[in-house]
Amino acid sequence: MDRGASTLGPRAAGTQPRSRGWKAALPFVGPLLVLVVLGFNGPILLIVNYSFSAAGTYSFVNYQELAATPVFLRVIGNTFRITVLTTFVVAVLGYILAYWITSLSERTRNIVLALVVVTFWVSVLVRTYAWIVVLGNAGLVNRTLLWAGAIDAPIAFLYNDLGVIIGMANIQMPLLILPLYAAMIKVDQRHLQAAASLGASERTIFWRVFFPQTIPALASSVMLVVILCLGFYVTPAILGGGRVPMVANMLDTYINSIPRWELASAVSIVLLLFTLALFMIYRRLDKWASGEEA
Amino acid sequence: MNPSPATRFLAILTLTYLILPILVVVPMSFSSASSLSFPPPGLSLRWYRSFFESEAWLDAMVMSLALATISSTLGVILGSLAAYGLRRRNFNLKNVLEGNFMAPVILPSIITAVALYIALGRIGMLGTLTGLVVAHTLLVVPYVIVVMVVAIKSFDIRLEQVAWTMGASWFTTVRRVVIPLLAPNIAAAWIFAFVHSFDEVVVTSFIAGTYETIPKKMFSELILEISPTITSVASLLIGFTILCLMTAIWIQRLGKVSAAR
Repeated sequence: MDRGASTLGPRAAGTQPRSRGWKAALPFVGPLLVLVVLGFNGPILLIVNYSFSAAGTYSFVNYQELAATPVFLRVIGNTFRITVLTTFVVAVLGYILAYWITSLSERTRNIVLALVVVTFWVSVLVRTYAWIVVLGNAGLVNRTLLWAGAIDAPIAFLYNDLGVIIGMANIQMPLLILPLYAAMIKVDQRHLQAAASLGASERTIFWRVFFPQTIPALASSVMLVVILCLGFYVTPAILGGGRVPMVANMLDTYINSIPRWELASAVSIVLLLFTLALFMIYRRLDKWASGEEA
Repeated sequence: MNPSPATRFLAILTLTYLILPILVVVPMSFSSASSLSFPPPGLSLRWYRSFFESEAWLDAMVMSLALATISSTLGVILGSLAAYGLRRRNFNLKNVLEGNFMAPVILPSIITAVALYIALGRIGMLGTLTGLVVAHTLLVVPYVIVVMVVAIKSFDIRLEQVAWTMGASWFTTVRRVVIPLLAPNIAAAWIFAFVHSFDEVVVTSFIAGTYETIPKKMFSELILEISPTITSVASLLIGFTILCLMTAIWIQRLGKVSAAR
């Protein structure tokens, strides 16, 4: 630290010629910028254009048509319902798991964290596919329940809300657990000890001292899960079997089954605006979460 | 603070739920039965044989490997350069530019899929390798930037300045100082990019046309009709992912050890 301070003068001087603006940065950021403009910004602008064009003029016709389509409204409803329920499951179970991990010995803790990280990296398709095996009518869960005599006929887990939520929560959970765990281990143990020495019960310490300090991290990771749920495509398509269409599945229909590019564009723009708005909130929450640490 | 027995029980249950897909798929892939029942009635390698004897699956694997190799290499070159520019240069609208580079992973991939489908369709490039490479490169670049920005941040700028003052050209500084020191991070970024490209399914399914990749073929089979061969594919993917992850971690650790010396 001291050495850093003593060299601060020359370092600051050394950074001087480095801030020459775009001209100096262009050789580095330029190549990627070309790719992003051509391969991403261009296509996005193209669909913005598509969403507002109808019969050669610009209008809101496509958006009006969407608003008047009962299917679209039902799909929006599905998307919100599945998103809220999935996020709730992820938040409650994820919090409990993250909390438990902090109480483990270092060795066990590393094993459990490694398991969480591995599941996070395994392909979404693989993790979705497994639920067909586990939740199917002849699957692990139903056969166990039948064998135990808890039920007489198999429960339909697949191709409905329940299956989609089970599959999606499983995929999103590591995204909540890892940042939440990181925030939990930063909670100052002395605060908890102080509360205990003042005679607070375990329950009071948790709710009044520990939990409030983890709220920013919880809020920001919940927002991240919400963002990812809204546009989720693969899992609802497989585990919903077309019966729980979400926004992304509707886009698939408007592109691949009944091509209506202008409607697909309008739906994409609605989803894009929602995602961007939520992402702004996420950024603020994330700043709040990291600000609390400092 | 110790969690109550109820909390502990719920946590272990949640952990089981989290890893259940992996716990189920791997044993299933060694099943001797052609039905998807768990636990498997007997053990065999027939589903692995059926994968390695299927020309369609092998073609898809070759395609996936080729696409991931090209895209992650391009992604690492463009992403590392950009990360260096973002970290070491100051210019207007830098944050906007960084946000723009990250946008393909912030937005749901279905939006990118629709936009690219329509754009490529307009210029007649749907189902082309170029279209796929552009899409995959865009989608892996953000991961490269995240890894490289952190790496460059912890990289002492004075090492570059020393090379500078000793009269090394900008190019020599990068080639002889920056790249060797960042090599472990570059390798790790490449592996992360490779895995992401290899697993990409949404955009690929929309724009690949007649090209088949492993995830694309898996996805369409899962929607239409499920054959047990998928179980062996899934298990191979799990093994492959864990291998890549361990290699990336090992390389980064190796880099830290050699840097400490």
